[in-house]
Amino acid sequence: MLRTIATIRKEWLLLLRDKAGLALLFLMPVVLITVMAVIQDAPFKDYQEVKFDILTVDNDHGRLGRYIREGLGQSGQFNVIDSLDEKPLSEARAAQLIREGEYKISITIPKGSTGEIVSNANKIVNDISKRMGLPAQLPVKTLASDSLAVQLYFDPAAKKAFKSAIYQALDNFLTQVQTDLLLERIQLQLRRRDSTATDTFPAIRLKAVALKETALGHGRQIDVISNSVQHNVPAWSIFAMFFIVIPIAGNMIREREDGSLVRMKLIPGSYLSILAGKLLFFVGICVVQFYLMMLVGIYVMPLLDLPQLQLGVDHAAGLLTAASIGITATAYGIFIGTIFKTPNQALNFGAISIVILSAIGGIWIPLEVMPEKIQAVGRLSPLSWGLNAINDIYLRNGNIRYILPDITRLLACGLLLLCTAGWIEQRRAG
Amino acid sequence: MNSIEVKELHKTYAGALQPSLRGLSFTFPEGKVVGLLGPNGAGKTTTISILCGLVKADSGMVRILGEPQEAGRREAIKRIIGVVPQQIALFPQLTALENLTYFGNLYGFKGKPLKEKILSLLGMFGLEKAAGKEVGKFSGGMKRRTNIIAAILHEPRLLVLDEPTAGVDVQSRSMILQFLRRYNEQGNSVLYTSHLLEEAQQICEDVVIIDDGQLVVQGNPQALIHQHQHCRNLEDVFLHYTGHAVRD
Repeated sequence: MLRTIATIRKEWLLLLRDKAGLALLFLMPVVLITVMAVIQDAPFKDYQEVKFDILTVDNDHGRLGRYIREGLGQSGQFNVIDSLDEKPLSEARAAQLIREGEYKISITIPKGSTGEIVSNANKIVNDISKRMGLPAQLPVKTLASDSLAVQLYFDPAAKKAFKSAIYQALDNFLTQVQTDLLLERIQLQLRRRDSTATDTFPAIRLKAVALKETALGHGRQIDVISNSVQHNVPAWSIFAMFFIVIPIAGNMIREREDGSLVRMKLIPGSYLSILAGKLLFFVGICVVQFYLMMLVGIYVMPLLDLPQLQLGVDHAAGLLTAASIGITATAYGIFIGTIFKTPNQALNFGAISIVILSAIGGIWIPLEVMPEKIQAVGRLSPLSWGLNAINDIYLRNGNIRYILPDITRLLACGLLLLCTAGWIEQRRAG
Repeated sequence: MNSIEVKELHKTYAGALQPSLRGLSFTFPEGKVVGLLGPNGAGKTTTISILCGLVKADSGMVRILGEPQEAGRREAIKRIIGVVPQQIALFPQLTALENLTYFGNLYGFKGKPLKEKILSLLGMFGLEKAAGKEVGKFSGGMKRRTNIIAAILHEPRLLVLDEPTAGVDVQSRSMILQFLRRYNEQGNSVLYTSHLLEEAQQICEDVVIIDDGQLVVQGNPQALIHQHQHCRNLEDVFLHYTGHAVRD
């Protein structure tokens, strides 16, 4: 035990005197998570939170145009712009502005659209009336246009998901207008048939089933789920924890180069107790580092107009996950420090391998949005196990039972790395 | 009792074209200062590594103060052997006191007795005022002296030194050699390697000259000099046995 405690004390003194190492372990991750949370805030926000300027050319001046403009405005997602420089927008001007990249989307409601919808609704009502033996009384245009459409112009750089969201919103408005007009025509026809009930005739209500979202878990708020802070703070903290590989590997290689490793091995007692001291110290540093980042998420992020980080309800599970990630990261550092002969080799390989493991492990962008094959590979990354366990606790309100598979994977991986490093070291001793 | 007994030691490193040791055998009794000498690549470092238990021999037998150097006995040997590596095996960011406290703790010593022992040894090596100074800021001689202190904290009966005076000034060298004589006078054995043959001639009671992984000659330096009329000193004896060809 004395050997382990002495090693922890020695590592602590070494770290205290290594100002660059301290900055790498604590200051850089704080800057990293803050920058990442801020710059990734917009892509993580729902379309409800982000307002897009939408150029609107209303050539209809009827109900469809009004519905679309009001609907877009009320949705909270769009700023409807129908005039520029106090002049009403024309379709040509709107198209030009989109081409120039000034705006991302323009819609033109063609002249006579509302009339066309009314005529179509009248035709349907007349058909129904006729089949029911009633006289067809509503006016219908004799020549209906087949080519009438709301014209859309998109910035060529607009993303597919963005286009799809706009299509869906507009399609929804069109359907709503057409349904409203159809119901209105049916009501009108029914009133004509039963003139005594004109004033008390009940409105036809089409929507019988609604959508409602319910949060899972105790006290869970729906809007906590996967915002920029909730993803970036734990994800980049895990990334930073794995960067402990650099000081550990450097430390081990220096000890080998300057002969102090030999001296330690020549002292009676198991080298494992010294290794345990190193492991405990660096795991402790990882845990402190992790919770420092979480404090940044809780107290600093709101100062930057970002949501506050939520830590879930099972804090013991959170601590266990942080410690398990720390064990794997430290074991990886010991492994890298064992297989490489110079600090430069270890630094380059260590840093690049962590960047790759983090990229495929869902640290940069969530694993779910990656191609299926990359997802399969990404699930082999220890960083993805760590992030998944943290998400289970922070987002899904999970407890130790939830995270057990990921924790087991992390610890097994750490053990495997330590055993491999031990085997390599033994082989090297001849 | 013999301090070191080496019989038919063979060692070829994995991937090496040539064996490092080819049946090396030598023995020297307890309580002597012995120089293990040889040109570059002769097998000195491999021999020391096997003696300390850091490297396993392919075949052969090693006994340290009667203890066989084998799997079950390594811990016992570590308690009676102290090794001063050629490199300064200390943490440069830690002070001399912190370094020596750490290594003392690894030996199982702690508290006031350890601190007193360290301060006494630092005083013996003229480093008492440097106890609180970072080793990285020491001169070459100060580092070498601290390196020796780290190897004798547990008072080993056999002290193995790999070029302990390399790159130090005359005063530091004199202090180190004086210490080795005193340590030997207390009944301890010293195995010492050096390329400074004048120094070896000065302090060694016996020298073991090896080349190409084999024993070339063993004996008292003065006796070896007298055996060859053309040899005026140990360097001449060394060149007589190992030749003038430059080794890499």
